Amino acid sequence: MVIILLLSGCSAEKEPAQRRPIVLPKLSQADPEGRLILPLGGEPSILNPILSSDSASSAVEGTIFSGMVRINEKLEVVPDLAKKWDVSADGLVWTFHLRKNVKWHDGHPFTAEDVKFTFDAILNPKVNSVRRGDYIIDGTPIRFEAVDKYTLRAILPKPFAPFLVQSGMSVIPKHILEGKDINTAEFNRKPIGTGPFRFKEWMSGDHVTVVRNDNYYLGKPHLAEVVFKTIPDANSRLVALKTGEVDESDIPPKDYESIWKVPGLNIFEYDALVYTYFGFNLKNPLFTDVKVRRALAHATDKNQLISLVLKGLGRIAHCPMSPVSWAYSEGVAKYDYDLKEAKRLLKEAGWEPGDNGILVKEGMKFEFTVLVNQGNKEREKAAIILQQQWEKIGVKMNIRVMEWSAMLKIVDSPKDPKDFDAVIIGWSLGVDPDARSIWHSDQYPRGLNFIGYDNPEVDRLLELGRTTMQKSKRKEIYADMNRIISYDQPYIFLWYPRSVVAVRDRVGGLLTEPGPTGPFLYIEDIFVTK
Amino acid sequence: MRKFVIRRLIHLIPLLIGVSLISFFVMHLAPGDPTQLFTDPNVKPEELARIRANWGLDKPIIMQYLFWLKNAVRGDFGIAYMINRPVTEVIFGRLPATLLLMISSMLLTLLITIPLGVLSAIKKNTWFDNFITVFSFIGMSIPSFWLALMLMLMFSVNLGWFPAVGMYNPLLKNPDFVQRFFDVAWHMVLPLLTMTLVSLAGLTRYQRAAMLEILNQDFIRTARAKGLSERVVLFKHALRNALIPIITILGLSLPDLFGGAFIIETIFAWPGMGRLGVMAIFSRNYPLIMGIVVLSAVLIVLGNLLADIGYALVDPRIRYAKK
Repeated sequence: MVIILLLSGCSAEKEPAQRRPIVLPKLSQADPEGRLILPLGGEPSILNPILSSDSASSAVEGTIFSGMVRINEKLEVVPDLAKKWDVSADGLVWTFHLRKNVKWHDGHPFTAEDVKFTFDAILNPKVNSVRRGDYIIDGTPIRFEAVDKYTLRAILPKPFAPFLVQSGMSVIPKHILEGKDINTAEFNRKPIGTGPFRFKEWMSGDHVTVVRNDNYYLGKPHLAEVVFKTIPDANSRLVALKTGEVDESDIPPKDYESIWKVPGLNIFEYDALVYTYFGFNLKNPLFTDVKVRRALAHATDKNQLISLVLKGLGRIAHCPMSPVSWAYSEGVAKYDYDLKEAKRLLKEAGWEPGDNGILVKEGMKFEFTVLVNQGNKEREKAAIILQQQWEKIGVKMNIRVMEWSAMLKIVDSPKDPKDFDAVIIGWSLGVDPDARSIWHSDQYPRGLNFIGYDNPEVDRLLELGRTTMQKSKRKEIYADMNRIISYDQPYIFLWYPRSVVAVRDRVGGLLTEPGPTGPFLYIEDIFVTK
Repeated sequence: MRKFVIRRLIHLIPLLIGVSLISFFVMHLAPGDPTQLFTDPNVKPEELARIRANWGLDKPIIMQYLFWLKNAVRGDFGIAYMINRPVTEVIFGRLPATLLLMISSMLLTLLITIPLGVLSAIKKNTWFDNFITVFSFIGMSIPSFWLALMLMLMFSVNLGWFPAVGMYNPLLKNPDFVQRFFDVAWHMVLPLLTMTLVSLAGLTRYQRAAMLEILNQDFIRTARAKGLSERVVLFKHALRNALIPIITILGLSLPDLFGGAFIIETIFAWPGMGRLGVMAIFSRNYPLIMGIVVLSAVLIVLGNLLADIGYALVDPRIRYAKK
């Protein structure tokens, strides 16, 4: 038995597999009783969009709920429950004109009162919603008014461009939740929404099932049911895809080559709205000199990192904005792999090779420790590779692998200076390019600017960017900001990962060129064949 | 006997208070706090502070503990963070899946190990015994996660006999009890097989050693000398005594029955307590951690108590005297 097991465990996979184009089935082949099974990497915590903050919950909520606006594959804001909207000339009054004849899953009519109720609930300090801060601008909450049954007005204390994306928050029903404690309401496990699918059942730890909403306002969805199956282990998700127990799976870089050999799958690749970086603690005397940071950037072979860590499934990053975003622009400072230049810069900064090759300046050795979180193999590998790359210029980096919560405790502590030298971590970005919370100097020591970046010009651009309404002007503002940040190199921007998902070829209606939102974006259009 | 049980149950009270007190403080010593998992660029620190205050985490730890204890005494273990449901409801939602898997695995293991252990003790140093010994050592050295993946590859991917993940077939339409039973049984085959194969090895060795030791005792020689048949000697006199160490092990493993098996549950996506417990710890879900700790403490004590009662039942030398 053991021997049989051993044999089935190893099969040589060396030669690269043939890439093949995506071939989707035609809508005429759709099964009206078709059921799609999608895996979730974790158990959803709670099915209430204003309370949940995990991606598993969001995935399920996306089929049950809808908001006034939604995001398309190009990350543009498009109408959903609101047919159109207008903004006053001063940018303070936003008016949303809602669809008529939309019904909640229980048949109750949807009105502007529901939208007002949703935002008021988020703003209620007793409701444990982390989204509350999105609707408070400089300490003043946004005011929401239901002008009539189908018109919602939002009155902002000052112009705030990211509000458009945030107005797409999924709407929850007033007639069910009014007067109840939203934190613990029964609703959170048996949700009712306006989206394309109705909630059916939740088997704890195993799966959540939603069924077609025949009255969906954008037309009856093709699928009869969508099942979300919780499969925490990545290898098991892949096995379940192969056995047909699920229709889709994310593909980690290590399985990328072999997945092409599995027949019956369509493979989608797209950019994720994420970047991974090496962050300097700028309060550490080692890293205060920008020349040192640039030298380390020059000594970083990002191509090697991407090919070893991501098996090539990534792009080199130079600035804090994803190339997928409309606000991204070229023309930022790029520090190519150049050891000579790195050594020259370090010499200029006063660092000289000491005994056993490690750089020394005024008796101080160039030695520090980088933190990486346990369980993130990519970051752990990146740390080891950087350690070897920088050894070549006489920089000694130690690696400390820590449990995630424990690491955040150090990074997030309100102390100044904080107890870390450097960190390898990543940001997943919002749809709006505003990144005030990451870069503004008032977000240190309390806040997400934990590296202590402080540049008054960047502060000014961040404020300007979020109060300017015109997209083209915002784009220029962010181009300037990214140029300055890349020049300062407070992070060494490492890579943007590519997401890869494999989907069984019985699934149709997918986006063949998906954006960061993935090929399943329009769940109402998706079908499976008989 | 009854007095003994009651006395042991009364001991439970100070024990549980002690366990909960220590766990509560140790849990708060671990760095990190539950709201940190919300960290994303769009969540403001003030909001996290507000939610911490809503959860009562801004109060001194001793006050938090007393508040928890006051409610726990009345059976209210609080609301689990993030999930926002009562801790007891969350735990009991996961318990059936765990109990089903763990109890089945324990029964199956016992059914196999006791005869195997006894046989290899009786047939000591024969080819049979050697085979079992080698098999046991292989079994003990195979990591469960590897075995799980191999079984999955063989029986799910290559042969397609059993489902690889989950406990239910989500596509069953309004299943009746019988359909549901077979559905769950079908899904349980691979996790059950993995768990049993892994625990088989160790217990077989214990059973063999216990039996061998008993067979060398004087009273066995006496029994044989009296002219009792070999069957009576082995099964009436020897086996009953050889079960004592197994009872100890079973008693000590009672908390495992409820605690679940994290690795196996994760690989087979089995919706059990192991996954819940690890998730609770990683996300610093204090009320949920405390609920699970208290449950485990109760079970450890009960497990020991049951083992002690079990001794009295099988071992004629042990009787809990009436005083």
